[in-house]
Amino acid sequence: MSLKSSYDAIVVGAGHNGLTAAAYLARAGLQVLVVEKNDWIGGAAVSRSLHEGWTYSNCSYVCSLLRREIARDLDLPKYGLQVIPYEGGATFTQDGDYFAYYSEKNALKREMARHCPRDADAYQAYNQAIMRQCRFIRPFLLRDAPDPTSMRPRDLGEMAYLVKKAHGLGKKELGETLRFWTMSIGDFLDEYFENDLIKAHLAGPGIIGTGLGVYSPGTAYVLLHHYMGDIDGGIGAWGFARGGMGAISNAIGACFEDHGGTIHKGAGVEEILTKNGQVVGVALEDGKEFYAPIVASNMDVKRTFLEHVDRYALPLDFTKAVERFKIRGSSAKLNLSLDRLPEFPAAPEHASFIRGDMHTSESLWELERAYDDWKNGTWSEKPYIDMLIPSQIDPTMAPPGSHMMTVFVQYAPYDLAVDGTRAGRNWDDAHRKAMADTVLDQIAIACPDIRDRVLHMEVRSPLELENEVGLTEGNIFQGELTFDQLFFNRPLPGYSQYDTPIKGLYMCGSSAHPGGGVMGAPGANAARAIIRREAKHTRMKGYAA
Amino acid sequence: MSFDAVIIGGGINGLVAASVLARGGKKVCLLEQSGHLGGLAAPGPDGGARMAHLLYNLSPLVRREIGMDAHKWPFKLTPVSTVALNPDGPHVVIRGQKAQLADGSAHPEAEAYRQLNGQLIRYADILRGLAEGGPLGIEGRLSSISGLKELWRLGRIGRKLKRIDKSEMRRFLQMLLSNAYDLILDDLKDGPLAGMMAADAVRGGFAGPRSPGTVFSLIYRMGHGGEVTWPEGGMGAVVTAFEGAAQKAGVDIRLNAGVARILLAGDRVRAVETTGGDVIETKTVLSSTGALRTAHMAGVDAFDIEAARRLRNIRVKGTVAKINLTLTKPVSVAGLTDDMCPARLVLAPTAEYVERAFNPAKYRQMSEAPVIEALRIDAQTFSLMVQYAPVDLDGGWTDAAKDKLRAVTLSALAPYLPGLEDAVAQAEVITPDQIEAETGAPGGHWHHAEMALDQLLTLRPANGMGRYAMGPEGLYLCGAGAHPGGDLMGLAGRNAARAALEVGK
Repeated sequence: MSLKSSYDAIVVGAGHNGLTAAAYLARAGLQVLVVEKNDWIGGAAVSRSLHEGWTYSNCSYVCSLLRREIARDLDLPKYGLQVIPYEGGATFTQDGDYFAYYSEKNALKREMARHCPRDADAYQAYNQAIMRQCRFIRPFLLRDAPDPTSMRPRDLGEMAYLVKKAHGLGKKELGETLRFWTMSIGDFLDEYFENDLIKAHLAGPGIIGTGLGVYSPGTAYVLLHHYMGDIDGGIGAWGFARGGMGAISNAIGACFEDHGGTIHKGAGVEEILTKNGQVVGVALEDGKEFYAPIVASNMDVKRTFLEHVDRYALPLDFTKAVERFKIRGSSAKLNLSLDRLPEFPAAPEHASFIRGDMHTSESLWELERAYDDWKNGTWSEKPYIDMLIPSQIDPTMAPPGSHMMTVFVQYAPYDLAVDGTRAGRNWDDAHRKAMADTVLDQIAIACPDIRDRVLHMEVRSPLELENEVGLTEGNIFQGELTFDQLFFNRPLPGYSQYDTPIKGLYMCGSSAHPGGGVMGAPGANAARAIIRREAKHTRMKGYAA
Repeated sequence: MSFDAVIIGGGINGLVAASVLARGGKKVCLLEQSGHLGGLAAPGPDGGARMAHLLYNLSPLVRREIGMDAHKWPFKLTPVSTVALNPDGPHVVIRGQKAQLADGSAHPEAEAYRQLNGQLIRYADILRGLAEGGPLGIEGRLSSISGLKELWRLGRIGRKLKRIDKSEMRRFLQMLLSNAYDLILDDLKDGPLAGMMAADAVRGGFAGPRSPGTVFSLIYRMGHGGEVTWPEGGMGAVVTAFEGAAQKAGVDIRLNAGVARILLAGDRVRAVETTGGDVIETKTVLSSTGALRTAHMAGVDAFDIEAARRLRNIRVKGTVAKINLTLTKPVSVAGLTDDMCPARLVLAPTAEYVERAFNPAKYRQMSEAPVIEALRIDAQTFSLMVQYAPVDLDGGWTDAAKDKLRAVTLSALAPYLPGLEDAVAQAEVITPDQIEAETGAPGGHWHHAEMALDQLLTLRPANGMGRYAMGPEGLYLCGAGAHPGGDLMGLAGRNAARAALEVGK
């Protein structure tokens, strides 16, 4: 395909958010080019075949947060996206027992009562509390975060919307909401439950991807961040994208191309070009240059401004604020090709929960200690693992009879401490292997035969995540989800509406509001902001408008 | 016997609440369970410092409203210099906003420290507006008198905010929610100066500097300018002054009078029964002890089930042990030419050190390398705040555990105070469980409830009880567990008393 040299807009990075922004812009009639450094698209929502016959969802591995408004607007099922919900999950214990989570509520109640009858009763109240918070937050995901210091009508309008919503909760409920947003998931669970194992099972989503422990204030919100999605209307449900997470990016990419968009792969951006405070285009590593009055960066805010924009084009205090932005690698990933389904000696025959998310952390203290290890610069001695075998539900992931296992590992630092120095480059093969051994030991709590099943293993430390996907420090959310970096503070105070100090340059990645996860919301919101400000002749179409 | 109001507890907040009510024309009785007044501020036998040992947050507003001098405190406050102890290099001496090296040379980060500290103090000044009144929030209709009053206050705080420029206001809204560790290390290298700030941010709390929300607790300390002072005559002088104000206002103060029960008539307070069996009739009770303990006095039946659950879930784990040292011979600080007295020595070599000290507390263990704030009152008297010593220590605070804490503390200080271990004549260890038993401060926590973002403002002490009134009609919380919190500030007592007066009108 021949490439033009100038476009209406250029999107830097073909992650799912970049593609989403690009697709919305293309649908609105703009000529859009997406440039991607890798030879494939998808960023961290990607499927790759690293062992013949097997497909890995290398990075992100399950799907729930993708906004349904976006899926509808971009007609993703038409472009091949199929999300299959999985049901349940389990935490296996060292002593050969397990706690199983079922989405069927009577089964769940029986299982909870097996461990602790009082917790079985408490669960309903707990679940209601979480769902109330989900309902409260969901409308904000596809809206702009207002700037509380601004008097512009738009900001005042958004502020009024926030106040109205908050007021609508009622006084007591508003108090509970404020509390929920600022407390730790550990404290929140302690208020409802007694049983360590049940608490540990429920706490996991509160720490996934963050540099916080289960008792760090703010982790209740992180849990919510993992609950606020839905599949087919089932709030909080998770599923597999058929063909791996890359299916999401591929569908968005196909929609984008169908609307006349162009994707240029295999060459990263060297510099985002500016002139007199206005963006003019991008220069690629392969020497090509493309021009456009609008550039949207899907890279995180640090990578965008500290590495690819001329410092002298930026105000000093802006650069300083970018440097202060916290983006910390805290997780690693193992992707495994298995010759057959491993055995789960604890699980009854035909147990449904082995098709869901499985863990091995038995108490909140164990999880908190895992966090202490991370603070000290090592991977956790007993990491929290979130493992799934998607090939049980999606046969496209592995050859018949064999299986693919994805294991998310928390915590693993980016700046690994070795001999008194802490740096990402310390992640060499020996350390990767040592970490993988630790993780396999954890998996073995659930499936003792795991080591005999492994045909191929991909170990991804935060360093690989950074190098391949471009996520600074391998942080999966493009920035910590702490309250000083959320809502109107995300990514930076005063720049929460996708704009930057450079005219025409926008942020469309998950560094921006509402943050990470395969959600698409930052991309769609950025497109809306761009069309409103830059393309006044046209309008954004769809539910996310 | 009958009074308009009964105050439970004779700590600073109890005394202030009693004075404000009495000056508002009420007949007030104050009941204190122990044989002396002051609560956590109560002095030791020598009049010095037994538990609390420094003043930095006393509210001049309270002073004026309880009829003390409008312009100055009745005791002399001496500014205390801080020495951030450095294990491998010169100590850092901080006087006011100025950081210097102990050898007199300039500290390379003096300017960065001055700016950061100044910024925090400016923000603290804005937040003080929130402390000097009940928690913001409009209860009635906007057009009602109370609604208008609230709007007026909001406007005043807004005006203060307006005075800072837009970019600083944005930074304020971001910083407030942040964690101390990141805030400090963004501007300072990790070392004794950063460690000292990190230690200040978490002192008294169940949090490490990396815990989100600790910037708030750091700012809270600076609500009244941030200067750390020592009262001439020790804490005894302070308690005497507040006691004097209460007496002048006509408060009937009774010692050794613990409260057994708060008696109700239907859904309102009728009387208070002391542990001695006396029944004091009153329609208004202000309690300065913990919220949960207060609820128990009134009987849990007086609270709805949700309120009871919330009270039970208040997070309040004390983490500070006090060690009071008396020495047989003078001991000086190594590496300090100036024999500073009083001086505040802070042992927190790095912010990282403070976080590591916090780790064991999470698992109910004491820190092996504790963070220490040592007040050198004179060359032979030291008052130490040792952190972390969690109230719920695994195995309990046995004599052996106390001995271990004492030994760990002395050996941590030994490199900086040569000859200390041999010079100890007396080392009294007061653990959080003892603090609770003696003063009624729940969990031995001096804020009566953790100063975390989810337990502030209208959420303090618990959601639905944020305006001092709790449970049955006529019952109020006036201690540090209520908004805005503790620190020998007096505002909780003052605000609660005003809320009670408002209702009585």
